[in-house]
Amino acid sequence: MILLELIELTSGYGKTDILNNFSLTLNKEEILSIIGPNGAGKSTLLKTIFGLLIPKKGTIRFQEEEVTGLSPDKMVRKGMGYVPQTENVFPSLTVQENLEMGAFIKKEINQNKLDEIYALFPILIPKRKEKVGRLSGGMRQMVAMGRALMLDPKVLLLDEPTASLAPLLVGMIFEKIVEINKNGVALIIVEQNAKETLRISHRGCVMAMGRKIFEDKGLAILNNKEIGRLYLGG
Amino acid sequence: MFELFFYGIVLGSIIALGSIGLSLIYGILRFANFAHGDLMTAGAYLALFFVTQLFEWLGIPDNTIGSLSFGIRMIITFPIVMIIISLLSIIIDQILYDPLRMKKSSPVILAMASLGVSFIIQMMVIIIWGSDSLFYKPGILRPAMELPLNIKIRPDQIFIILVVFFSISSLHLFLKYTRMGKAMRATSDNPELAKVTGIQTRNIIRLTWAIGGAMAALGGILYGIDVQLHPGMGWGFLLPLFAAAILGGIGNMYGAMIGGLVLGVVQQLSTSFLLPTYKPAIAFIIMILILIVRPQGIFGGRTLWK
Repeated sequence: MILLELIELTSGYGKTDILNNFSLTLNKEEILSIIGPNGAGKSTLLKTIFGLLIPKKGTIRFQEEEVTGLSPDKMVRKGMGYVPQTENVFPSLTVQENLEMGAFIKKEINQNKLDEIYALFPILIPKRKEKVGRLSGGMRQMVAMGRALMLDPKVLLLDEPTASLAPLLVGMIFEKIVEINKNGVALIIVEQNAKETLRISHRGCVMAMGRKIFEDKGLAILNNKEIGRLYLGG
Repeated sequence: MFELFFYGIVLGSIIALGSIGLSLIYGILRFANFAHGDLMTAGAYLALFFVTQLFEWLGIPDNTIGSLSFGIRMIITFPIVMIIISLLSIIIDQILYDPLRMKKSSPVILAMASLGVSFIIQMMVIIIWGSDSLFYKPGILRPAMELPLNIKIRPDQIFIILVVFFSISSLHLFLKYTRMGKAMRATSDNPELAKVTGIQTRNIIRLTWAIGGAMAALGGILYGIDVQLHPGMGWGFLLPLFAAAILGGIGNMYGAMIGGLVLGVVQQLSTSFLLPTYKPAIAFIIMILILIVRPQGIFGGRTLWK
């Protein structure tokens, strides 16, 4: 079952095209990782899907409906969640308020949903009333992911969720990603930690220069010596 | 000395009303609104029109309440003028600043545009009301009450402090507990992320102008009650407003509030050893010192050049 379909997308900033004729599909309840060198256009891809960048060419279909060029707040309403790589929390708001902001478009805060998020990230419970700006990088990442989960998205776009985290936390974030996925959320993950990401991914896509180079099952990419040598650092 | 301190609190609470708005607008729109003081002027003069002309014409009695220097006319005027200046602020934003933002103009361009707005408001006030100082109730005796420690204060001043306390507390409750208030703080923290979360930042911008405008109008009227009205009054407030906002950390509402009080008190205390005409210089010195020593302000905010 196809959830999200990108057809020949071209996108970029100003006159520069970063994404070139890029096509990709994401199935329901699937983890898809996007890997590739810096500047490959991975973040641009996520921004284009989420409507932060309007594609110059191509089509985006989400849940069998064309959503090309819709603004982020409409994408949120359609069931898409996005966690940017940096500045992905509101530092002067408390943990609880950050989560509440995730459900801003709903007039009422759903207490059950909040409890679910805290059950997923129990480490945040004692920090509920603390300002997020005072928390560690790992906890901030959890707040950011929790915020994006508040509206029960069908797909969650994560931009480098483990960048600049301590190794111990990296493992923990990946565990959480698997747990989120088990609850029925499909994920597209852009990552530098390619090996760990591929290990938990159903499928992976290797990108370079704004194009898709290779696509296969996550473990298959891991075991592909050629791709490993070129893109995963041996 | 105690008396000056008290006058400082009165002045400081009026500055706080202006600097909170200035700081909120900076926090969300990242531009220095040079016309903010003139919104105070506009509010003060609009109130003058209501109190001395419109309500006279409508036949609303002109009695004073207790030992205050004003009466029911002024009490009705407060909310009406605050709403009008709120709307005016939103309209100015829609016809001037919003198109500039759409063109992705730099904050400097926006600040210059606001300077233009400032001149327009000042000139309009001069055209309509003239350039002389005016009072809401000319010729009224404003007796002071004697308190222990030889403090002489006027009932109006107590009224001012209470009104400011009430409005700032209300704003605090709004920002802390309501859905829109939280969204406002979120947008001030990170406008891009606010959009990603589905917050319609255009509405937040309008709300910010409305609150900033209402607070400025209130400050302007209160200053008019305490001192007098003058077309340049808001312009004269600009330096203290900025100094207070920067002192508290620009973008930080609570900082702006404390900053306003500190500035008011320091300015008034300075008159015990300096000529009162040096008051703006004191504001300027405080601003320069803060910018050199701690540009993010005492309570932390954004650095000005981010």
